[in-house]
Amino acid sequence: MRAPGRPRFAGRRVTRWAVDTVGVLLALTAGTFALVLLARGDPAAILAATRAGRSATPEQVEAVRAELGLDAPALVRYARWLADAVTGDFGLSLRTNTPIGPEIADRMGVTLGLVGGSAVVALAVGLAVGIAGAVLGPGLPRGALRGGALLVTSLPVFWLSYLLVLVLALRLGLVPTSGMAGPATWVMPMAVLGLPAAGALSRVVAVTLREALDRPYVLAAQARGSGWISIVFRDGLPNAAGPILSLSGITVGSLLVGTVVVEQIFGWPGLGDYFVQAAAARDVPALQASALILGGGFILANRLADVLQVLIDPRSRRDGGVPTPWLRKGTA
Amino acid sequence: MTRTVLVALPLVVFAIAGLLAPVLAPVDPTAVDLAASLLPPSADHPLGTDQLGRDQLSRILYGAQISLAVTAAVLTISLTVGVITGTIAGYLGGRADRVISRVVDMAVSLPGMLVALAVIGVRGPGVVNLIIAMSLWAWAPYARIARARVAGLRGSPHLDALRLLGASPARVIGRHLLPPALAPCLVYASTDVGSIVLGVATLSFLGLGIPPPYAEWGQMLIEGRPYLASAWWLAYPPGIAITAVVFASNLLGERLAGDDERPSILRWVRPTARRRLADHVPTAAEGDVVLSVQDLSVGYPQRVVAEVSYEVRRGQVLAIVGESGSGKTTSVLAPFGLLDPSAVATGSATLGSGELMGLTPHERRLVNGRRVGVVFQDSLAVLNPLRTIGAHVDEAVRNAGRGGRRAATRRVTEELLRLVGLPDPAALARQFPHQLSGGMRQRVQIAIALAGEPELLVADEPTSALDVTVQAQLLDLLGRLRDELSMSMIVVSHDLAVVSRLADSVAVMYAGRIVESGPLTTVINDPGHPYTRGLLDAVPLPGAVPGTRFRTMPGRPGAGPDDSSGCAFAPRCPIAVTACTNDRPVLKVLTSAATHRSACSRGGA
Repeated sequence: MRAPGRPRFAGRRVTRWAVDTVGVLLALTAGTFALVLLARGDPAAILAATRAGRSATPEQVEAVRAELGLDAPALVRYARWLADAVTGDFGLSLRTNTPIGPEIADRMGVTLGLVGGSAVVALAVGLAVGIAGAVLGPGLPRGALRGGALLVTSLPVFWLSYLLVLVLALRLGLVPTSGMAGPATWVMPMAVLGLPAAGALSRVVAVTLREALDRPYVLAAQARGSGWISIVFRDGLPNAAGPILSLSGITVGSLLVGTVVVEQIFGWPGLGDYFVQAAAARDVPALQASALILGGGFILANRLADVLQVLIDPRSRRDGGVPTPWLRKGTA
Repeated sequence: MTRTVLVALPLVVFAIAGLLAPVLAPVDPTAVDLAASLLPPSADHPLGTDQLGRDQLSRILYGAQISLAVTAAVLTISLTVGVITGTIAGYLGGRADRVISRVVDMAVSLPGMLVALAVIGVRGPGVVNLIIAMSLWAWAPYARIARARVAGLRGSPHLDALRLLGASPARVIGRHLLPPALAPCLVYASTDVGSIVLGVATLSFLGLGIPPPYAEWGQMLIEGRPYLASAWWLAYPPGIAITAVVFASNLLGERLAGDDERPSILRWVRPTARRRLADHVPTAAEGDVVLSVQDLSVGYPQRVVAEVSYEVRRGQVLAIVGESGSGKTTSVLAPFGLLDPSAVATGSATLGSGELMGLTPHERRLVNGRRVGVVFQDSLAVLNPLRTIGAHVDEAVRNAGRGGRRAATRRVTEELLRLVGLPDPAALARQFPHQLSGGMRQRVQIAIALAGEPELLVADEPTSALDVTVQAQLLDLLGRLRDELSMSMIVVSHDLAVVSRLADSVAVMYAGRIVESGPLTTVINDPGHPYTRGLLDAVPLPGAVPGTRFRTMPGRPGAGPDDSSGCAFAPRCPIAVTACTNDRPVLKVLTSAATHRSACSRGGA
């Protein structure tokens, strides 16, 4: 795992990857900016009305339009918007007339906590169930795990939340129904967000791990007396890591998107909640900002998994296959 | 097939309910009757009423209608746009293909829910906006699938012929490329139905999908939210409806995609019943026998190895020869449980005095790697590509209980690598399997097999696929190890030249049975079975005049041991008579030596 050739070789691949990623992120910003062009209603009029507290006069609207620079051509506005967005300046919310940047920064922590916690749930449960699915022979336990995994991915998150609230909070009184005050309130949101992701992950883990465990090196490991735990963790999982890693990336990304629903249900003041509020109020700048952050996070999570995949396989290293120093020394 | 239909049943119910909602629904789903609010299920209202006194059953049915309508619209748009885009990209190829593919890749990598929310956020809720928002991301996978299918077809001679015959591009695309591109897209659509239904319900739940007073499942849940704790009939039916449709769609997609159902090699093996042969009488020489296999049969469940018996004596090398598919490898790996999990092995195998058949996985670990080492044929495939050579050998050393701290284990590892003749073990241990030559990897395998200082080394075709000089070096190594460590060995090979350099005794296998066995020199000089004679004749002798044609055996290799009731070799045998095809010959002791046996009913003819 510490071959000397790796950094140089991987460097080239990582550079390519970085260029690609920047390209996709730029496309995301263009798409996000284009939301303005799709918007119904005049943003200047809406903001002016927010400031005035009632319908604004045409003069007020024109003043706001000039202030926002809405008269410039779309490309110029895109360039300006992008330059500001890079520095964290997303303009003013049409709904509250306050800067969006600090608001998002405030809410980021809540969302990251929720995503982090449910990612732990998703990865731990998904890996455990997936490993069991690959190691178990056909039979009732495996069928139950498979069916359960498929069912939990088919449950609508909002309904699952209701059921949990009904049972755990209202009937049993184990946890509070909503809010975020202390560990007890964290249980339901993380379970609701993490478990469906775990179901999807477990299916991929089971299939790819079974494939990795069907290779001759497993037979050889059994021949030298290795136990199944060692075989699963040293031989199976590393060889199945590619698809598992890339799905883990997608999983973390989808958790980020899932916060949109879960934060609503449990009343967590995070980015997802902000996004829905902005969408409901047609607050275009706020919508753009949160779409950019959530979408960017989603894309980065996906792509980070891809680059990790390159880094863990020794066969993709630069010195793969060429005569190695010891051989030259040995034959000399 | 029946199960697939059963799986799709909720989808069929969903479609029927959606299409026939106006006929099936008992009352108008929007008819408010505040006097009848929050009634539990009754004859009048089979699923009760909601807070406004609206009939829940009717609302569920109309909910199916609206879900179905949106899903159908989104699927129609996505399929049309996706399949046409993908087909054109695949058909045109070149730059157009690259540009379209790039756009499709980006669209696929976008989070669908977020796109839909953002679009509805700027356009406002409503059925039309919902359909636009969902189609905006749903088309991309279809484009990708169609492109892949068409790009695969583009180069086919069939299409070239069509073009030569003067078919216009429109005709080629429309008649010959779109239909095959559509098929895999429809399979994908079976799963997509679930995602779309779920998406519609989620957006409505967030208040951004289908606005009231339409009855929509997600909408029903949010409207009923304050009453869920007291009125269970508001909480369950809409959720169950969504889950059933999504679950059926996921399951159908999984079935249509044909998911892998096989168990892996590594499974929790149930030990099969132990079986000792009643008529097994210990012989005088038994103390000298390292491994004794009696009446071993292996089936899947059709037998590939039948009633095989062999013995390996201390310090001796037993060679098992035969052509590919004769069951050699299965016969030697079966005693150690190194078979496919679906294999059923019966018979008895004793190592020292312990029975090997039917051991639990834990008991096996005390045998494999400690008392027996195995060298496999394909040295690249049996080494884990992601682990270093050192990691492999270290593991074997630890399994054998000879490890200690990391450095101590590594010292044993380096000692083993040196023992098998590999230079600079410290550096080699840090290499990965793909960086070694085939001969070196084979030596590494031998080092791994030796880690437990085993009584018995099993080598399955240890020198196949290596060039002749490397072969000779490896055979010398094995011979040296036998002499220095006084180790017993089983060598499986199809190559008599390999066998004659190493073996003390030989067992010849044909079609899953041993047809001849005995001391090496006796079998080579005085073969009892016509198959052995044929094998020997097929070997070019070093003294032969150049240009001499060596004889080959006519006919095709035999199949399984149970394919014929007579001698399996009879169809290819030069001395076969009619009787050979009727009665199966058994192994008989020949006159030349007490341990020389042959299974030929024509005696020593």
